[in-house]
Amino acid sequence: MSPDRDAIRTVMRKDITAVRRSKAIMLPMILVPLILIVVLPVSIGLLARNAPTDQVQNALTSPLVKSLVQPILDLPEREQLVVLVLGYLLSPLLLVIPLMVSAVLAADAFAGEKERRTLETLLHLPITDRDLFVAKVLGAFVPAVVITWVSAALYTVICDVIAWPVMHRPFLPFWQFAVMIAWVAPAVALLALGLLVVVSSRARTTQEANQLGGAVILPLIFVAAAWASGLLLAPVWSVVVAGALLWLVAIGLLQLNARRFTRDRLATAA
Amino acid sequence: MRSTTSIEPPPPRTGHGFPRASDADHARLGRARQTEPVTAAIETEELTRAFPSGVAVDHLSFRLEPGRVLALLGPNGAGKTTTVRLLNGVLRPDLGRARVLGFDPAIEGEEVRRRTGVLTENAGLDDRLTTRENLLFTARLRGFSPATASRRVDELLERFGMADRADDLTQGFSTGQRKRVALARALLHDPEVLFLDEPTSGLDPAGTRDVINLISRLAGEGRTIVLATHFLGEAGRLADQMAVVHRGRLRAFGAPEELAHDLWEGIGAHVDLGRPASDGTLAAIGAVPGVLETSTAAQGASLRVRGRDTVAAVVATLVGRDVPVYGAEGRAPSLEDVYFEIERRILVETGDLAVTDGFLHQSEAAV
Repeated sequence: MSPDRDAIRTVMRKDITAVRRSKAIMLPMILVPLILIVVLPVSIGLLARNAPTDQVQNALTSPLVKSLVQPILDLPEREQLVVLVLGYLLSPLLLVIPLMVSAVLAADAFAGEKERRTLETLLHLPITDRDLFVAKVLGAFVPAVVITWVSAALYTVICDVIAWPVMHRPFLPFWQFAVMIAWVAPAVALLALGLLVVVSSRARTTQEANQLGGAVILPLIFVAAAWASGLLLAPVWSVVVAGALLWLVAIGLLQLNARRFTRDRLATAA
Repeated sequence: MRSTTSIEPPPPRTGHGFPRASDADHARLGRARQTEPVTAAIETEELTRAFPSGVAVDHLSFRLEPGRVLALLGPNGAGKTTTVRLLNGVLRPDLGRARVLGFDPAIEGEEVRRRTGVLTENAGLDDRLTTRENLLFTARLRGFSPATASRRVDELLERFGMADRADDLTQGFSTGQRKRVALARALLHDPEVLFLDEPTSGLDPAGTRDVINLISRLAGEGRTIVLATHFLGEAGRLADQMAVVHRGRLRAFGAPEELAHDLWEGIGAHVDLGRPASDGTLAAIGAVPGVLETSTAAQGASLRVRGRDTVAAVVATLVGRDVPVYGAEGRAPSLEDVYFEIERRILVETGDLAVTDGFLHQSEAAV
């Protein structure tokens, strides 16, 4: 049976409208990106811009990291610290945004409906189990990706402005960064949703979903940030392949969960 | 105890001003008007569903003709809400099957839900949306185009007296207002079958009266209504069929008067003597042909008689003996009388009700 796109869009639109009016949900979704894209790059970028270059040289030329950081070493000395900090150390933290937004919205998707006692009504409406699942996943996925992309665009502008006195040219986005944001970040969001939508459908309250989801998401945040730091130094094709693998895992996980998702399970878990 | 008498559905009744969806609306909603009348609006066969905590619905079998109002009665935890969920395809049965308007809810859940409207015990409004947005969401999910949805929502808000709150967030609405919005939402698509789960719970007396009047008008339009409730007053006023469910099992089904006929011989009557009947008076009443039982009441005597004619004979006998009679009436048992008698018999049968020291005691397990 083909999906009912109108029904999916209707549920998504309702969820997004409701979320936009919820301070408890909007606050973390605004604050976390704000810290990551404004506070951190401005403060650390200003420090890096004025730091002495000899300490950086010592750190970067140690034998262990030399091969990895060759793209940075190829730059003029004054630019190295700015590019290292803003381009390679802080930017992987942008992957926190799709994870965090997915976690918050996934918790609200089903556990929130149960808490507000609106789930029963929803289950009595003529929407298939599959369409309901897809709508709930997309209702969290689309905002997560949009917020990540907008944040990354702002981060790019802020970093280029902060670094301008040193660089005299925009240095972000470079290819690895662009692929990470455009290709890898949505896969990360989908992977998180693959894990968290099921948690949300089983939890009775948003708080319970957040607690259970946090246990899943926190390790993922560290892994993603650490993994992305290395990925940005790797060739572009390897970032593309890594993203593709993430997409495969995320889609597989979602398909598995979609097959197991029924309104009967949802109703009895309430 | 279960009555299986088939009852003809009442003749179609004219509407009372509720805006009905047009044929064009029905076509847009992806469901054709039934061209041939279905023989049963709802039919279940051995419908069973268990949870880890126990069997919620246990081999439930009944048949409800179109246009009937069924009161699904039973104490809390009897399985009423689970029955509604099974009938609307929200839950799947472990055993047995159901058909609603000819569709199997376990297999054709969407088809069933397209044709049914549900008022859940909790109104289930999203407080972060306005009244209009709540209704538009449901209308769009039910397949209305944006323009038709908007028109239909406006009609119903007007009809349910909520037009002036259309653009307010539902947060802060009274329980009565929430129920009215939820009822409007249940009627958006002009459903053929309505499931109303505890429609008056949490309402004040005025709100209760409003909602009962609304349901009464809906019933007057010839809709099939399943009213899951433990408020017997509203059930008695609205329902022409009753089903008594106890621990998931159907213990009685039929019209209240039929069930009363199965439970008791004759009808109840009361003779108002202005004071409790004396033993001599009771003996005189008992001697009248057709009197089955007599007992003293605060203002006279309570009787069980074969028919209304016997009441007239009792009055004539008492007047002939110069006993002042201030009034007398034969009274058919109400749905409430029938329900409590069935419940009493169930409790006695299951050993949950015992007579000790002249008093009835319900065991804790049965409460």
